[in-house]
Amino acid sequence: MRLGSLIFALMLGISIFAIPQNDAIAFTEQQISRGAYGDDVIELQARLQYLGFYKSKIDGKFGYNTYWALRNFQEKYGLPVDGIAGAKTKKTLSGNSDYDEAWVKAQLNAGNQFTYYGGKPLEQQVKTNTGGGGGGKSSGSSNNNGTKTQVPPKYTEKDVQLIANAVYGESRGEPYEGQVAVAAVILNRLESPEFPNTISGIIFQPLAFTAVADGQIWLEPNERAKEAVIDAMNGWDPSENALYYFNPKTATSKWIWSRPQIKQIGEHIFCS
Amino acid sequence: MLVILTVAVIGLGAYSFQMHKENTSLQRTVLAQYTNNLTDASEKLSGLQQAVSQSLLFQDDQAMNNELDAVWRLSSEVRSSLSNIPVGQEVSNEWLSYLGRLGDEAKRTEKTGDYQAWREKMPQVSTNLQSLSDEWTVATVDLYKNNGNMDVWVQQVDNTKPNTTFDNVQKTLKDYSEKDFPLTLSESDWQKKIELKALQDSVITEKEALEKVKKLFPKIKDATFTVTKSSDTAPYPFYHIQFHQGIRLGYIDLTEKGGHLLSYLVERPVDEARLSQDEIKKKAEEYLKRLGMNDVAFVESRENHQAWHLTFARVHPGDNALIYADGVQLKLAKDTGELLGANAMEYIQEEKIKPQTAKAIDWKTFFDDDVKIGEVKNIYTDNGQFEQRLCYEVIAVRDKNTQETFRVVIDAENHNVIKVEYLT
Repeated sequence: MRLGSLIFALMLGISIFAIPQNDAIAFTEQQISRGAYGDDVIELQARLQYLGFYKSKIDGKFGYNTYWALRNFQEKYGLPVDGIAGAKTKKTLSGNSDYDEAWVKAQLNAGNQFTYYGGKPLEQQVKTNTGGGGGGKSSGSSNNNGTKTQVPPKYTEKDVQLIANAVYGESRGEPYEGQVAVAAVILNRLESPEFPNTISGIIFQPLAFTAVADGQIWLEPNERAKEAVIDAMNGWDPSENALYYFNPKTATSKWIWSRPQIKQIGEHIFCS
Repeated sequence: MLVILTVAVIGLGAYSFQMHKENTSLQRTVLAQYTNNLTDASEKLSGLQQAVSQSLLFQDDQAMNNELDAVWRLSSEVRSSLSNIPVGQEVSNEWLSYLGRLGDEAKRTEKTGDYQAWREKMPQVSTNLQSLSDEWTVATVDLYKNNGNMDVWVQQVDNTKPNTTFDNVQKTLKDYSEKDFPLTLSESDWQKKIELKALQDSVITEKEALEKVKKLFPKIKDATFTVTKSSDTAPYPFYHIQFHQGIRLGYIDLTEKGGHLLSYLVERPVDEARLSQDEIKKKAEEYLKRLGMNDVAFVESRENHQAWHLTFARVHPGDNALIYADGVQLKLAKDTGELLGANAMEYIQEEKIKPQTAKAIDWKTFFDDDVKIGEVKNIYTDNGQFEQRLCYEVIAVRDKNTQETFRVVIDAENHNVIKVEYLT
């Protein structure tokens, strides 16, 4: 009798775990809309793609591609068309689609190109990342950080990466404010007619940054440097419109001392 | 023992010879690239001068526009080449500025059709470019006589050893820049804005600044503060207040005139997200009220791994259009919704908007048949010539299948397209 109960409990346990994750519980209770990012958005995109509404890359960023796909889904299923994934929308979506979270996350973590259309074997929807990139229409994040950054449309993730490299190479020992200020100087140069008009042109302008000259720009930036770049891209400028900065202890150029100074943050003096 | 020592010496010698060879090879490669860019810049400079001259040949609009295109393209190419060679920062700045202004002028002339103004100004610019080109040739002649040695380049940028020929180029460039392309009224207004000249409030003391900080940000009222004043040469004086409270480390900048908030930023560890997007937005609106910004409306929000960034813009009291230049940005922690940052540098410099009329546009004829209009908003934004224009901001979707989304900004009065952005 005791053995029978044990087997029953075991079977019940197995059956609970075997239920496909296709109900509303899979989503969190949060209402999500444009601007959101993360696991809920990954699930939303995957389920919308499963039903054929979402055709872009599953990247966990709730942008316009997700927005239109969601609106089309809402229209088709007789829901209020607002482009917001609330409880009712999530429930309807979950009830009509399947979501293999483990598989989707595995593809994202591996940096694979993949899609998640329903009715097609998953193994046929993935192109394994071999590190050399790949042609064709891509889906899925290119790396783990792909879902970590959302910036104003005029900037790209490549810009974030490049400036973060410069910030880390130039000012990793500085306070956070000083790191945001270094990123802001690069962005201020982008607006100034006196400097090249691309981020890469500014950073790699010969002799413009010490980190380029001594190779420290190639160090892998940490999350703090990336966060500093994101803040600068969103408008913060602790340098107060500076175009230059220098370390008074190490600067050899006399010219830099002639620039009008604005403020000092940590070891750097910022000037216009 | 002697054998081992001999082998070690030979090995070391071979290794340093190999390293030296690699370094020399690398140096030559870089030098070749610099020389290539220098030659390219010098040749294109000459081409640019000719293009400016040629633009004065035609009465025909189309022929004129072709030359204006060439001026714009060549000025951009010379800029690019110049920015890739190591010359002193000042010379580089002046060059890039002069060429950029020339290119902008060509573009603007093509757009506005004001060929008369171009014809009046360009004969002098053409002469100046010729003399600049000559001076540049003289200044750079040594750079070609380097015998494959990088030291010649390094000396050019070493400010402890003045170079009169480069100084001449820089002086001439500065002079021509001011005469050939003086600041327009709009640019001068924009410059004043950057320097916060519009602020006329009375000066507040350091003590008053601190009191204001504690009132605006009660969360850090018990922090340890360090207040410094901006440098005497700063375009606008401000208080730089750094603070430290437990896990929080940050700063606030307040203008000395009136104690207006420029920016606030705090760094602290952030736990897992607990608040919804809607709750974050509501909290942001509460913070704005506390900061005294009651005349703004929500524009957009972006979630990142630690925080939400939200943007708001002032609402024009006359027509309810959003004034993007009077924007304010907030940063809220994802765990508790704490205000981690506020940026009001633009908001405190309220734009003076000139009255403008909006003429309706028939979107069916304006856009291709394949394009669907998502949203249309009235906004004020910069038209690229430092003027705030009333515009339609249209979210347009192209192609039913790919659903590519664009943000198109159209001047509401003359229907010029000011900006097109691809949205994902």
